[in-house]
Amino acid sequence: MHLIQRYKLDAIFLPIVAILVCCLLWYLIAGKSTITTKKDDWGDTVKVTKREGISADLPTPVETWTASKLYITEPFAKRGELDQGILRFTWMSLVLVAQGYFLALVIGTPIGFFLGLSKKFTMAFDPLIQVLRPVSPLAWLPLGMILFSGVKVVNGDGRTTFGASDAAALFTIAICAMWPTVMNTAVGVRAVPQDYLNVAKVLKLSKNKTLWKVLVPATLPYMFTGFRLSLGIAWLVIVAVEMLTGRPGIGGFLWQQYNANSYAHIILCILTIGVIGYVLDRLMSVIEARFKTA
Amino acid sequence: MPLIEIKDASKGFGLPGERSEVLKNINLSVEEGEFVVIVGYSGSGKSTLINLISGLVKPDTGSASIEGNPITEPGPDRGLVFQNYSLLPWLTVEENIALAVDEVFKDWSSEQRKAHIAKHIAMVKLSHAAHKLPKELSGGMRQRVSVARTLAMNPKVLLMDEPLSALDALTRAQLQDEIADIWLNHKTTVIWITNDPDEAILVADRVIPLLPTSPATLGESIAVNIPRPRDRKAINHDPEFKRLRAHLITTLLDSKGKNKVKSNLKLVLPDILPEDVNSINSFEFFSRKGPKRRNEVKHEEVEVSA
Repeated sequence: MHLIQRYKLDAIFLPIVAILVCCLLWYLIAGKSTITTKKDDWGDTVKVTKREGISADLPTPVETWTASKLYITEPFAKRGELDQGILRFTWMSLVLVAQGYFLALVIGTPIGFFLGLSKKFTMAFDPLIQVLRPVSPLAWLPLGMILFSGVKVVNGDGRTTFGASDAAALFTIAICAMWPTVMNTAVGVRAVPQDYLNVAKVLKLSKNKTLWKVLVPATLPYMFTGFRLSLGIAWLVIVAVEMLTGRPGIGGFLWQQYNANSYAHIILCILTIGVIGYVLDRLMSVIEARFKTA
Repeated sequence: MPLIEIKDASKGFGLPGERSEVLKNINLSVEEGEFVVIVGYSGSGKSTLINLISGLVKPDTGSASIEGNPITEPGPDRGLVFQNYSLLPWLTVEENIALAVDEVFKDWSSEQRKAHIAKHIAMVKLSHAAHKLPKELSGGMRQRVSVARTLAMNPKVLLMDEPLSALDALTRAQLQDEIADIWLNHKTTVIWITNDPDEAILVADRVIPLLPTSPATLGESIAVNIPRPRDRKAINHDPEFKRLRAHLITTLLDSKGKNKVKSNLKLVLPDILPEDVNSINSFEFFSRKGPKRRNEVKHEEVEVSA
């Protein structure tokens, strides 16, 4: 009992200590502003702000909080196209990620099955996949722009609702997030116990039935590991995609605030992206655990 | 005409050069309604033998046939009960059996199929567990589901590949009796593979030893004429049982004593050649490729008497 209490306390206490230590380090290297008044050439008194420190432009934790407070306390506010609450931006990014991620699963899972089922297919496509897999999202996006340069969906008012950059964004997320699903599904299909396949053979199940009744359920745990990793990558890619396409969203907001010299908001964005990524990963691992068979 | 017939079959595995022959000169014929048990040591090729009949493995030479038709692929007329049950863990007991029944009796109405499934679950006394997943069942219960699944296909022959060897002794005894009872009621042909001589004599009409020569071959069959149902307690004192048991064990042991095993040894030589000091020239950085690899493996055949 004593041990459990202590363990629980530690589980809360130790992370807090770690966070405080990090904040302290942050504070130490951040720039501190000193405000002095002096008389200018015209004889007026003016305030002069001077920042000093190891990294003079880096805002301190307190400055970050003051600058970000509005975005956090009014997370869904819309003050302008580029000035919205942090969760509103996050939501836009999540919608885009969800679409790209969905595409990745729809394309990646069948490819994984083909790779797992056919040795010839693997021999043919494995080198290609291994080469394309490590390519950065920053490299895919321009290609997407070229590929989908003709895409333009216009609504009644003549405004473009889905243009080349949207298509390129989806393409980039899908092609980057696809690989873990492809690889894990392929491994999962190869790992289906021979016994199960023998059962299918002895019962003379049709190909279709073998796939849906034996192969897919047996592969599900692997597939979901792939899905979880894919979601992590899709969320990673979103920032790069939004920066390059200029779409509104958490990544776009980050880039725009950097250009506007409001550095505190960058830190807000980084923390938000991190927290959302963590939450997504937890959610997926809960789903993953539900699909563990045997 | 015998139901199952294997003629002069042999089977080996592996690529040429590293090939190991498992079975040789296999001749087996099983009549309809017979209960045949094949006894052999672990790893002597028993599973390969039963897979020849099930169609999962094809013989290298010779032939296997059912009712005169050559066996080329697995089929529901030869119900195979696996050693490790092989139930699909994501399906309940009922669904596992339904998978087999729906496939084999496609032209039946769904009520007919349901009744058929329920009948077979009841036959192995698992009606209370019909909606449980395999992981919620004990080993003995799982194997009963597996037997029910196989019997539900109404196979011409029931092939059992060490069906009870993963179970504890008590559950094993109980299941032996249950399967023997089911056989008495159904009179399906059974080919049962085991490594337990007692089990063999207890359940079989005819016991065939699989002699552990290398490659293995079938010995002379031993008829068991002990009346059924056999009482497991009384049978231990039955002189006929004792005689058969002694005969069977002696046959198996004797052939093992004569057995010479050929074993392929891989001799891996040290993988590094000494560097040639003279060849190092002034462009040392480019020309030195590190120690040279020999990468040589020598094969040696050694005879070991077991």
